[in-house]
Amino acid sequence: MLDILTSIIIAGLTTGALYALATVGLSLVWGSMGMLNMAHAAMLTLGGYAAFSLSSALGLPAVVGFAGAVLAGAIAGGLLYVFIVRNLLNNDKATFESNVMIATVGIGIALENAILLTFGGQPLKQPISATGSLIIGPVNLPYQNMLIVIVVIALMALVALLLARTRIGRAIRATAQNREAAQLMGVAVNRVYFQVLVLSGALAGVCGVMVSSMTQLSPPLGNDPMLKAFIMCVVAGLGNLPGAVAAAFGLALLEAFVQYAAGARWGFPSLLFVVIAVLIWRPAGLFGRAQIRRM
Amino acid sequence: MTTSLRPMSVSGSARLDLLVSLALVGAAVALPFMVDSRYVLGQVVLALFYATIASQWNLLFGFSGIFSLAQMAIFAFGGYATAMICFYFGWNVWAALFPGALAAVVFSLIVGLACLRLTGVYVALLTLAIAQTMYLLIVTDTECFVMVGSICRQLTGGAVGFARFGDLGTREFLKGQWLVGNYAIVATLFAVTMIATYIIVKSPIGLAFKALKDNPGYAVARGVNRFQAQLLVFGISAFFTGLAGGFYAAHFQAIGPGILSMSQLMFIIAIAVVGGVGTFWGPLVGTIVLVAADELMREAGEFRTLGLGLIIALSIVLMPKGLVGRLGDLVRWLRRRSGAAGRSKLRESTATAGE
Repeated sequence: MLDILTSIIIAGLTTGALYALATVGLSLVWGSMGMLNMAHAAMLTLGGYAAFSLSSALGLPAVVGFAGAVLAGAIAGGLLYVFIVRNLLNNDKATFESNVMIATVGIGIALENAILLTFGGQPLKQPISATGSLIIGPVNLPYQNMLIVIVVIALMALVALLLARTRIGRAIRATAQNREAAQLMGVAVNRVYFQVLVLSGALAGVCGVMVSSMTQLSPPLGNDPMLKAFIMCVVAGLGNLPGAVAAAFGLALLEAFVQYAAGARWGFPSLLFVVIAVLIWRPAGLFGRAQIRRM
Repeated sequence: MTTSLRPMSVSGSARLDLLVSLALVGAAVALPFMVDSRYVLGQVVLALFYATIASQWNLLFGFSGIFSLAQMAIFAFGGYATAMICFYFGWNVWAALFPGALAAVVFSLIVGLACLRLTGVYVALLTLAIAQTMYLLIVTDTECFVMVGSICRQLTGGAVGFARFGDLGTREFLKGQWLVGNYAIVATLFAVTMIATYIIVKSPIGLAFKALKDNPGYAVARGVNRFQAQLLVFGISAFFTGLAGGFYAAHFQAIGPGILSMSQLMFIIAIAVVGGVGTFWGPLVGTIVLVAADELMREAGEFRTLGLGLIIALSIVLMPKGLVGRLGDLVRWLRRRSGAAGRSKLRESTATAGE
């Protein structure tokens, strides 16, 4: 019984860490720009494939592959800003929210399909992964899971430090709180948007490597984690970073338990029921503040 | 009807709408006589389904501001309900269409009750999650519900779906020309849907939907009940979408979980976006353009999805109001230019008269 329980908890914590990483990228962009990035899944996949092609096809060391994934995600985020978001921001402000969502859906489909055309649809093995496991008494800890949790915690700390301590972080937080006021205080809001998208792209790249190291590389790789990350963002209240991380771990543990108890197919529906219940009780999410908007 | 009652107050745009619809009816009647190819006519029928769904998504998003991504789920629900009634109870398809549409309405009201307390992207995310859940539950359904011969059949049809549960009866009546019959039925469905949408959009409740979209705070302050009005438009749009789903299942004599896939939903959204969100004729224009583009890209085969994604992104960046909106801009610009030219000519003539 104990070993089943620990393996459920280990699986839950690992997927929770992955979801948390995907959620932070989404939530950062939503919180500072009011933009829901539907292309996040494709950026995740892009990161995974970038690492694969650098370290498996070209035979470079794993660190280079990892850095390549970060770089590919960051470049994708930057390009997304330059070609899509910048132009949409010039249009009507009221329609930005839905327009950017539709546009990124299009970009996401195009990117996923481009990956499919380049690498083919067959699943590939992610070379950047650890094998073996640490055995402490009855508990079996795979190195891969430990690696994921450690990397994710390190990245979270890095993002938190960046947001709390640096000039860029202060500008991002100021823009998130009040765009106009930040602009009047001399924050270059457009540059902040660019930085946020690059940062979120880099996080997506890392997340892609991690997700694919647990499963396999395939073009629709990012869709499942992203849909769950969306749900976690919504439960926490969109734009709330610490809440999103807490929701990611909580819901991932719940999913792991439900999948063990009722079978894998009920994992996602049970998450959905939790979300709907939470939203009926608190329409702005668990940690979201009720917004007062001037109409 | 309204034109005959109030002949004096017919506005210019209403007259234009009437002219366009008369021309379209003419074209629709002429089409089967001009087109010989079964393939082309089949694609036209499919395009009419797309146009019907897109017009109802447009009613939700373009006219009422509800960003729902459950449109294909509701369409599929209507189709599945119709197919399941025929399959399990042996009903005639025609008898099952209306209950199927009502089932879709009930489903949409449940979805609406869960989602419509929220606004904006929360609605989009939740409806997307519901649609995905429906897809996953159908595809992973492996428990036997009934045995058909020696084949196990799941309650929801599983990954295969339903087939051979009956058709619209056109094969019996029209023999070889059955596709023309189906075309006439689906075209009628589209026409009825468009007329109903027009009446709704122009009616007082349509104004309430629009007000809630344009300025929710003001609309609520003026006594519009947001939750009730949005639930109503959700139900109305679900009725026509579900009905279209039933006809879809009956026309193809099959329905499967494939129509719940993300790419189908995106195609519908692309149609509305390219045509013009919030314009009455937008979905039709978008359907014509995108189905034509899709056919052209069929030559390029594997690049179809890539091209479709880029078309969605580019058209929202370059023409946020779609083709119909751009056309409106063009007409207004031309009118202003000719108006300005006319005025200056007038000024010139008065100047010469003054001398």
